[in-house]
Amino acid sequence: MAAEKAVGKKIKIALAGNPNCGKTSLFNALTGTHQRVGNYPGITVEKKEGRYRDDDWEIEVIDLPGTYSLSSYSPEERIARRELLRDDIDVVVVVADSTNLERNLYLLVQVMELGANPVLALNMSDEAHAGGQRLDVELMSMLLGFPIVETVGHKGGGAKLLREAIRRAYDNPTHGERFSFGPQLERTVMRLAEKLAPLLPQPSPPPRWLAIKLLERDGELGQWLRDNVAESAGLFTDVEKEIEELEKFGRTDIILFIADNRYSFLSGLLREVRISEMRADSRATSDFVDAILCNRIVGLPIFFAAMYVLFWLTFTVGEWPMRLIESFFGYLGNTIGGLWPAGSESPLRSLLVDGVLAGVGGVLVFLPNIILLFFGLALMEDSGYMSRAAFLVDRFMHRFGLHGKSFVPMLTGFGCTVPGIMATRTLENERDRLTTMLVLPLMSCGARLPIYMLLIPAFFASRWQAPMLFLIYMTGIVLAVLLARLLRSTLLAGEDAPFVMELPPYRLPTLRAVAIKMGQRSWSYVRKAGTIILAISILMWVATSFPRAPERSVEQEPILAYEDDASRDLSYSLAGRMGKLLEPLTTMMGSDYRIATAMLGAFAAKEVFVAQLGIVFSLGEADETSTSLRETLRRHYTPLQAFAMMLFLLVATPCMATVAIMRKESGSWKWALLQFFGLTTIGWLLSVAVYQIGRLVIG
Amino acid sequence: MGHHTNDGPITESLEDYLETIYELIRDKQVARVKDIAKIRGVRMASVSPAMHRLRDLGLIVYNQREYIQLTPKGEQVARKVIAHHEILRRFLRDFLHVDKKIAEQDACQIEHHISDQTIDRLVRFFEFMDTCPLGSQVQEMFKNCSEVNPELPACMEECARYDAQMRLEHEQGNSLLSELEPGEKGKILHIKALGALRQRLIDMGLLPQTMVEVERVAPSGDPIWLKVRGFNISLRKQEANGILVERQATA
Ligand SMILES: Nc1nc2c(ncn2[C@@H]2O[C@H](COP(=O)(O)OP(=O)(O)OP(=O)(O)O)[C@@H](O)[C@H]2O)c(=O)[nH]1
Repeated sequence: MAAEKAVGKKIKIALAGNPNCGKTSLFNALTGTHQRVGNYPGITVEKKEGRYRDDDWEIEVIDLPGTYSLSSYSPEERIARRELLRDDIDVVVVVADSTNLERNLYLLVQVMELGANPVLALNMSDEAHAGGQRLDVELMSMLLGFPIVETVGHKGGGAKLLREAIRRAYDNPTHGERFSFGPQLERTVMRLAEKLAPLLPQPSPPPRWLAIKLLERDGELGQWLRDNVAESAGLFTDVEKEIEELEKFGRTDIILFIADNRYSFLSGLLREVRISEMRADSRATSDFVDAILCNRIVGLPIFFAAMYVLFWLTFTVGEWPMRLIESFFGYLGNTIGGLWPAGSESPLRSLLVDGVLAGVGGVLVFLPNIILLFFGLALMEDSGYMSRAAFLVDRFMHRFGLHGKSFVPMLTGFGCTVPGIMATRTLENERDRLTTMLVLPLMSCGARLPIYMLLIPAFFASRWQAPMLFLIYMTGIVLAVLLARLLRSTLLAGEDAPFVMELPPYRLPTLRAVAIKMGQRSWSYVRKAGTIILAISILMWVATSFPRAPERSVEQEPILAYEDDASRDLSYSLAGRMGKLLEPLTTMMGSDYRIATAMLGAFAAKEVFVAQLGIVFSLGEADETSTSLRETLRRHYTPLQAFAMMLFLLVATPCMATVAIMRKESGSWKWALLQFFGLTTIGWLLSVAVYQIGRLVIG
Repeated sequence: MGHHTNDGPITESLEDYLETIYELIRDKQVARVKDIAKIRGVRMASVSPAMHRLRDLGLIVYNQREYIQLTPKGEQVARKVIAHHEILRRFLRDFLHVDKKIAEQDACQIEHHISDQTIDRLVRFFEFMDTCPLGSQVQEMFKNCSEVNPELPACMEECARYDAQMRLEHEQGNSLLSELEPGEKGKILHIKALGALRQRLIDMGLLPQTMVEVERVAPSGDPIWLKVRGFNISLRKQEANGILVERQATA
């Protein structure tokens, strides 16, 4: 009965930290399940927001992308610092991995340079203690001037203290006053900042920070200054002069000189507050495991075995809940259908049963697979094995313009393209990620298997069946590799992003973190099913049902002997007409309007092709084992035509779920449409070429 | 300057004619005065004097009625001009990033005046840039440089410093990080990598004087696995090339 407490203060905080420092765990500990996951507009970087209440305070939390620094080389870094510069961020919680303080505090220093109001969370404190490190946290807090809390992210340890610390920091803000460079650099920074201050428009980043970034020759800010400050030309000359001076003094280049200043500050700080160091052997267990799992000889076999288990789990264990869902939707269809009198032609009934339920059901049946797969992937990520896997296969992938971390998503694509695309989130580099996503539909997914299972036995002698299937799969892989290379030298050209990947020690993942990660990703799949896919399903239903064929009058003979009502309806409908409209294009690859119509159905989901074929050939309900359908097909087409057909279905028209997820994950329609039309064009050209050349050769 | 035959120099315009004839024969099997005139954009009548001159120099076989043929000597000269054209165009376009059309025009101009030695050095230069690991880096650097692309940050100072550093190191004969074997240790002397890679390495704490140990390599030998300041990172060999180390004695 407790009434909602009145809201006292509303504040906004941001979480910053290196990758793998346990930031996500801490974010979960703070916000519980009040989270929203999205994308920053136009790019692939994930955006997480959440909120919590602390007494009468309402606190909004932004989880920034994990970064090592705040330079402007990667989209993550640019986003992190843009968010930090927003003036409505009241407190910045810097999360640091205590077992690796020097490097983790390097980011803290940069947050202080920025003039933000920090709180430091010394995470992984359990591991650090176990490893023998002890810190005088109180002294550290005094030296730095803001609250510092030791936390254990995955267990929620220290969360309460952290919440208090955040409120204290809000009430007594600091702005990094306690950080300073060495005297030489500090004087230069001050001098430049003073020069800058009167020139800057409002609002603008703090002059001191700008001065530092100008000395670092930061590209993004240099451009900003050129655009926004009239007298910038003179400024740049001044900056260059200062840089020259400093380099002469430091006998090194400016980037190193500044980095060295930061690290010196940190080592000075740690000398004061570190009572005892981590023992050198504190990572012995993890190192021992690596000696086996990343062994030059057995490392790869173990990895492939792990992959095998993952997919076995996904597709075998996923089987029975999948059946359950299928029969649930079947039951729902019957129940809803039963509300109308038998044989009813009500469009509403058809819309609900054949359109909405069939469409959404068709996507939701994959949910068990997806949940299981994401469970496995989350385990791999949180345990630290994912980066080992990338280490093991990077050479192979890199040759094709991809990244070691592309491997798992590509493999997932053989199951289903949609989770494959979602699994590319582990790739940090935008270009690597886009390349992987764009070529992923070429990994022939599970839904395409029924098509091959129908066509191959229908057209090829049994000793050619297995090689045929193999050929189709290999074609997809080879095309993916070629396309990846092509993309990396055209649209997504550019220097490789540096492959400098941290290999965090193995950690026992917590069920909670894994469940949250799995839940968020699965949910975003379900949400797609409920929105875009629902809409497209309805459109597809309209296209295949309207306009309706007029009732056949008694004297009117069927035009074709075998034509029944369903097939007549389909060929009369929008989809049938579009099929006929597209016929000139499909003729060139050896198919007619019937195939074209069925292919339109394949856009809804690849396996729908089989059912649609059944309808256009008036065979009623058909699946991939239907012998009558095979007979009919054999009568109408040659093996060459069938092969061209399969090629087209392999390469062209990624299904609507793929288009929808691509739009979401890449952050723009541009890539989704490029993928759709690009692959369709390639698929068409390829099958036309195969058909035409094949015809010449076979004669 | 052009080429010299026994009977004097071949002028620029004669070389252009030879080039055209060669290309016509290559692409259409025959070279007719009509086609030559069309390609060079002159009247047919103006082509004849040049043809007579080329015949006198022993470079083509030509009599009014028939198709024109190249003598072996003529073919040699024509090939050379075309090769020069290709090399120059590649240099202008791929290395200097000159616009396509201008590169084509300039190559046409320069091809007649360039010495064999310069061409030879250009070819060697391409080879060098392709095989030397730093070559591609320098090319990339230049392309991404403010002098070519005004929107990008300044780069000239960085290059100058880089150059000085390189020379210094060569004299001391230290190793690249990529040359260390698993189990070997080294002290970082200098980060040669530039741009994003450099920043990333520095942010990860790979500064000069830091000790690194190569823990293992991937099954195919690349990437490599390093232990630095108590944590593990992996780098591609390509990236490890950018770090100069002093090899340490292994215990
Ligand atoms: N021992 C220990 N493990 C932790 C702690 N905090 C997080 N972990 C574990 O560390 C692993 C990585 O944690 P995440 O929260 O995913 O790390 P992150 O910084 O968000 O990593 P990215 O998602 O890669 O940016 C998980 O297995 C966590 O369970 C901690 O305080 N102590």
